[in-house]
Amino acid sequence: MSAADVNVAHPLETEGRIHRLKKPAVRADVQGNMPDKERVDIAMKHFVKDFGRLSAIYMESCIHCGMCAQACHFYAATEDPRLTPIWKLEPFKQAYKREAGPFALFYKIFGLKRAVTADELKEWQELLYDTCTMCGRCTMACPMSIDIAALVAQARHAMFHAGLVPHELHAVAERAEKEGSPLGATPKVFKDRVEWLADDNDIEIPMDKPKAKVICSLSSIEIMKYPESIVATAKIMKHLGLDWTLRSDGYEATNFGLLSGNAAWQKDMSMKLINAAIACGAELLILPECGHAYGALRWQGANIYGKELPFKVRHISEFLGENIKNGKLKLKPMNKSVTFHDPCQVTRRGGVVQEPRDALKGLGVDLIEMSSEPGMNWCCGGGGGVVTIHRADATRYKSFQIKMKQVEDTGAEMLVSSCSNCRLTFDDSQAHFHWDKKLHSLLELVAENLIEE
Amino acid sequence: MTGSLRTVGDALARRGVSRRAFMKFCGALASSMALPPGVVPAMAEALAKAQRPSVIWLSFQECTGCTESITRADSPTLEDLIFNLVSLDYHHTLQAVSGFAAEEAREHAMKAHHGKYLLLVDGSLPPKETEYYSTIAGISNYQMLEEAAKGAAAIIAVGSCAAFGGLPVASPNPTRAVSVRDVIKDKPVINVPGCPPIPVVMTGVLAHYLTFGKLPDLDHLGRPKVFYGETIHDRCYRRPFYEQGKFAKTFDDEGARQGWCLYELGCKGPITYNACATVKWNFHTSFPIESGHGCLGCSEPGFWDRGSFYKPLSTGELSKATTIAGAAAVGVAVGAAAAMMSRSRQEKVTGGK
Amino acid sequence: MDLLDFARGPALQWSLVIMVFGLAWRLTGILLLKKKPDFSEPRYKDTFHGRMLMIMRRMWPKEEFVRNSLLDLVLGYVFHIGLFVVVFFFLPHILFIKDLTGLSWPNLPNGVIFFVGAITVAALFALLMQRIMTPVKRLLSNFDDYFSWFVTTAPLITGLLAAAHVGARYETLLAIHLLTVALLFVWLPFGKLFHTVMVFVSRGATGGAFERKGAAI
Repeated sequence: MSAADVNVAHPLETEGRIHRLKKPAVRADVQGNMPDKERVDIAMKHFVKDFGRLSAIYMESCIHCGMCAQACHFYAATEDPRLTPIWKLEPFKQAYKREAGPFALFYKIFGLKRAVTADELKEWQELLYDTCTMCGRCTMACPMSIDIAALVAQARHAMFHAGLVPHELHAVAERAEKEGSPLGATPKVFKDRVEWLADDNDIEIPMDKPKAKVICSLSSIEIMKYPESIVATAKIMKHLGLDWTLRSDGYEATNFGLLSGNAAWQKDMSMKLINAAIACGAELLILPECGHAYGALRWQGANIYGKELPFKVRHISEFLGENIKNGKLKLKPMNKSVTFHDPCQVTRRGGVVQEPRDALKGLGVDLIEMSSEPGMNWCCGGGGGVVTIHRADATRYKSFQIKMKQVEDTGAEMLVSSCSNCRLTFDDSQAHFHWDKKLHSLLELVAENLIEE
Repeated sequence: MTGSLRTVGDALARRGVSRRAFMKFCGALASSMALPPGVVPAMAEALAKAQRPSVIWLSFQECTGCTESITRADSPTLEDLIFNLVSLDYHHTLQAVSGFAAEEAREHAMKAHHGKYLLLVDGSLPPKETEYYSTIAGISNYQMLEEAAKGAAAIIAVGSCAAFGGLPVASPNPTRAVSVRDVIKDKPVINVPGCPPIPVVMTGVLAHYLTFGKLPDLDHLGRPKVFYGETIHDRCYRRPFYEQGKFAKTFDDEGARQGWCLYELGCKGPITYNACATVKWNFHTSFPIESGHGCLGCSEPGFWDRGSFYKPLSTGELSKATTIAGAAAVGVAVGAAAAMMSRSRQEKVTGGK
Repeated sequence: MDLLDFARGPALQWSLVIMVFGLAWRLTGILLLKKKPDFSEPRYKDTFHGRMLMIMRRMWPKEEFVRNSLLDLVLGYVFHIGLFVVVFFFLPHILFIKDLTGLSWPNLPNGVIFFVGAITVAALFALLMQRIMTPVKRLLSNFDDYFSWFVTTAPLITGLLAAAHVGARYETLLAIHLLTVALLFVWLPFGKLFHTVMVFVSRGATGGAFERKGAAI
């Protein structure tokens, strides 16, 4: 599979070597009619909001070794030095040094660090959105352990409010905030779909129970594209005999506020889930097969809420693994060799390492690891909003070739994962490359292979 | 020894020095100055024919150590003759007369041999501004030096005090003492430093002048390169131990007993230029390091103010712990202020959220 | 006061004071910034373990990254270890530290130090070439990178020159060597050489945060 085979529908300027801040025709998407100066001021304001102790530690620690580059699939696919992960944070770093660092006053007075410009921010749109999934593999390569992925998420705050988000991502995020779903799965559509699924599959899918012990959330990608996962969830809940429900006032687990960089929207989206869980008195909130949803609620949810959450939060793969390990879910053996694509936000950055493997063990597969340790696998290249940005497709496909090779190198018969955005990305790329490997959902496999008593 | 001059050869003959012994002396002198053996006959002839020049030795703020040292110059018979190779017309310690007669002798020699006498100076002197801190017979050192320098054929500053200021110049320098070169700027001055200088170094420099009628090659501090061209460290017999990393830690530990390098005990050999390690002291017997004590660096300017003789060269003159602690405290304060500024800015922007 | 007296005295004196001042300033200015509390349910409570683990583990890259980092690793470690050996095992240096802290330890022979010093300088030059020639590093590099390189290499080169008596009189070479060391002390808190401190702070911060989540360390 070489570059010549790729059917590139949208060629980008990322071909060839681009150094420093040379100016190609920067096609930065802009929202609003703000003058440049205003954009910069707003961006600076939001940078300052994020300059806390942890960010400061990171901004002070980079030694310009460039080791993060090789970890990033976008860099690896293009060898464009501008795609070096830490370079994405250059404006953020300049701003930090000038505004918040210990030497800020001196840098400003003596002009030792230049001020960020609107042109720079526009040029950086591509680096912060098109070519970063916040997968955190760069964080693993950095000898100083700088959490580059987290810093990119912070930098996006400034970009959003400066009106510098790629159009599609902005549109999708706005839709999610206004309608409750990025893909049109409004509460009404959601309820209708669930009702139809329950009928069609002859299974009870409780909706809007006033009180329940477990509340399940879903990704709009599942609701609209992979509805089988909803049925699979219902099957498993039924098998475990749990008192569970879906809630139309809080179901959307994806968080496009987080992905686009709007912290207020991120809060709105998370609070819907949290309030719904509290309203029904849930003890456990299950997050669906989704990557960023996990980080958003499991790790950031309580901080958005302002205190400890009154319920536990688990990823569906965690939940499955726990219940397979304790024997509550018994499975038919599958007798296949399987390789598992760890979703970056769930395993590497989320800490769900063992449970999917327990689940696979329960499925009786021959597990072949694709990386030296769990979580070190390559990213699918579509997370963090990248899959929504069409001008990024060419680069995404290029980097997907690296992913395909990693999967092929395992020699496994079957490919499994536990994230619907990865699934979407894999499906899209599979079609593009006419690849023979389909990504299977761990949830659906477990549901399919349940031994009903 | 004042009055008429005879040739050196005459003086030698009168003292009963054989021609053979004299040639041997010239050979030893030539080799100690790294001159080729071919020079020896010419040297001998020149010396033999040399007129006994007048030598005036002025002693200012000094301890007489340089005089003590020069009198220990090598084989007593031959080095004694050095004194007879010159007419020592004025020297506080060695001359027979004292008082007015001594000063008269000086003035007479200066007049009679104007432009031809050798002027030797030991000890530092107060400058014009404080000239009356040191006087001889009511004449300030400064005045005496200025006058004497006028008619001198050559001026030799003997010992570290005359060459660089030595002990009197060490902090706090109450007399504001200076060196000979600080006063005499219009005539060449040879510096022969050391505290004291090695006997044969002093006589060798003299003999060089007597033989060749000119000053030997001098380094950037006015010291004859032949004796001051190498550091003690580069000629030290203990150098292999320095290179092997074997150092005495105390004056009586096993390393000291084995004759290991004395760097840790404060030896300043690496930055000291002198002939101690090769020519040695006490008739070529030994030198401080060989006797187990580090080099003081006594032939270098300012060696008295270079910190303890027992602190290694690499320790430097460092700040007290309190200064360092103070610097840390100030740093913390400034850092805290910077952080507070940043935080308050953040508060303003986030509205406290 | 001649150049050597100045270098051994006020230059080193003040450079140490400035270094301590600068380190305290920068570290305090960073650590006193706002830290957000974390209310999420931890996967593991003991974050100290994670901090230590991250500090240790990042000394060698993950398996996936070793091949592409080999040159950086080899040159980087040759330089760091070489510098460590030269600084801490040459007796005059040990005596300098002993004077400051009271601590001392056995030294290595000068021949070994010289050899290691020469290799260290060679590694530094190779690293500079690499920084200039690889596109990623060239893009990232700024004045700080090059000046920090100079400030680190100069004491090594001047030390070697002094030991070899090459280029000027020994005491002049020694004075210049001490002045380059003073420059290093002064620059240390302000440029990227501050990573001597930050490597522990940054790795520790991420290690603690990640251990809490159970995330990959």
